[in-house]
Amino acid sequence: MQTAAAGIKLESVTKTLGKTRALDAVSLDFKGGLLHGIIGPNGAGKTTLLRILAGLLHPDSGAVRFSRGGAQIPFGDIRPEIAYFPQEPSLYPDLSCAEHLEFFRDLYQLPRAEFAQKSEALLHLARLEKFRNRRAGQLSGGMYKKLGLICVLLHAPEILLLDEPTIGVDPVSRRELWDLMHDFSAGRMTIIMSTSYMDEAERCARVQLLENGKLLAGGEPGALLEKLGAASFEKVFLREGK
Amino acid sequence: MNFNAARALAIALKEVRHILRDPFTLALGLGLPLLLLLMFGFIIDLNYGDIGLKVQDQDHTRLSREFARTFSSSGYFRLEPFSSEIAPVSWLDSEKASGVLVIKENFGRHIKSGRQGEAQLLLDGADNSKTGVVLSYLAGIMDAANRKFAQTPPRNSPEIRTRFLFNQELSSRWFIVPALATVIIGLLGVLLTAMTVAREWENGSMELLLSTPVRPLEIVAGKLLPYFALSLTGTVTVYLAARLVFGVPFNGSRIVYWTACSVFITAALAQGLLISVVARQQRLAMQLSMISGLLPAFLLSGFIFPVESMPVFFRYFTMILSPRWFMEISRGVFLKGAGFMELARPLSALLAINTVLITLAVKKFKTDIEP
Repeated sequence: MQTAAAGIKLESVTKTLGKTRALDAVSLDFKGGLLHGIIGPNGAGKTTLLRILAGLLHPDSGAVRFSRGGAQIPFGDIRPEIAYFPQEPSLYPDLSCAEHLEFFRDLYQLPRAEFAQKSEALLHLARLEKFRNRRAGQLSGGMYKKLGLICVLLHAPEILLLDEPTIGVDPVSRRELWDLMHDFSAGRMTIIMSTSYMDEAERCARVQLLENGKLLAGGEPGALLEKLGAASFEKVFLREGK
Repeated sequence: MNFNAARALAIALKEVRHILRDPFTLALGLGLPLLLLLMFGFIIDLNYGDIGLKVQDQDHTRLSREFARTFSSSGYFRLEPFSSEIAPVSWLDSEKASGVLVIKENFGRHIKSGRQGEAQLLLDGADNSKTGVVLSYLAGIMDAANRKFAQTPPRNSPEIRTRFLFNQELSSRWFIVPALATVIIGLLGVLLTAMTVAREWENGSMELLLSTPVRPLEIVAGKLLPYFALSLTGTVTVYLAARLVFGVPFNGSRIVYWTACSVFITAALAQGLLISVVARQQRLAMQLSMISGLLPAFLLSGFIFPVESMPVFFRYFTMILSPRWFMEISRGVFLKGAGFMELARPLSALLAINTVLITLAVKKFKTDIEP
């Protein structure tokens, strides 16, 4: 029997960076196996939130709890199951697509046979087969993001954290990135991604609206809009901004 | 601590690819050692072999000419006679000569009558190091001249016969070239690794890397390995050039020498890594590594100034610097043929420094991106 992917619960998480309160007592529940969107304008605290989930930053107060099928999992145990792709460029410009995949294969110690099959499938899905020998520094913005995504997807993580994966990506590539994520989630993976494109919220199973480090609201996109009485998420933030 | 060799190798393989694709690193690792060795080997030659010496012979006798010849036959001086109209000091003023020898009138007559012949040697005191060397040659020349002019065989007087062990010819190249290996490895090793971790911070890859299961010790080990191979190749080049180009004899055991080299290279690389881990910025790391690599290797290793003659504070301070210990080993093995037993102290000091540096690099290596 297959249990659903792990979920994450934040309990009043607060984080101050320098003089900025990046997150202010944020409590929320990321249900396992769903595609979650964190939506908010620049500087809302999206990156800080994702970095805390990835274990790269530690909350000043509050707690982050991982659980699977009702049982809590210590961070040390879940860490190998988490994949994270940052917003800033973080691949090696002088390594090719294939070399990046091999590097991640070795870091996660995937068996060769499994790797051969998976990497081909991922390259195909991302339409990067023809570019396997091209260096990351010479890829277009969209291809770069797709390469990063398939690198972290290689070991079939349970939790996938993506920080603005679609920013600076042309509409066609954005579409492809979304297809990639949908193909991979399907109940086996908890995906948490941030975006400042409000129109992408509707593609998520759940959305969390973040502004100035505070959680405004959260829920299913349709129901949430209804509850907030707004035609779009853009309008919500425009209203809040006033 | 869980250490996964496969992950360390993955980092090492990635580093090898970086090195092979970065002409700067390759040139630094392979070209710089040879360039430095050839430059310093030829330039820093403390034996002055062809010193221009202007000679003003006011005496014009057989004896005065013979006296001047003593200088040229020593092999160190090239004599250039000049007429008496020119003031001797003008040669030094215009830096056209390193020294001026003035043989006074009646030089020959005085010698013949058993008195002292008089001659004057003017030296340029502004060039301290050269003058010091010339003075040391002068003692030998005076000795030869005295023997030549002595009317009677010298009486039985105590005589000191000096024999220089290990470097019979007192060739400064023999002394400097093995020491240069210390300077080159000490500087190069630190420079090579100082960039690596800082670069990952700067180009953002550290954030991605830290979110994977890789551990600090694996990153440190994986980064040490390829740079070790690169530095060792550079060291072999230096060794071969020392032997083949400069003809420096190697009297010791190769096992001892290469063991010590490996330990010293690792210490230099670990120092660079520690800098890189702490600095997080390439520019800062570069500056720190230049200072902490170059200064100890050049000034505090005994390369130029002997450790024994340093002020007390520095004598103890050098103990925490790896170049000082490797200098002792390098000179000992090359010229004296010292073995493990004789070098136990410097070797264990190097090992201790190694352990401390690597431990610090791993401990300071943060697994998060907190500022």
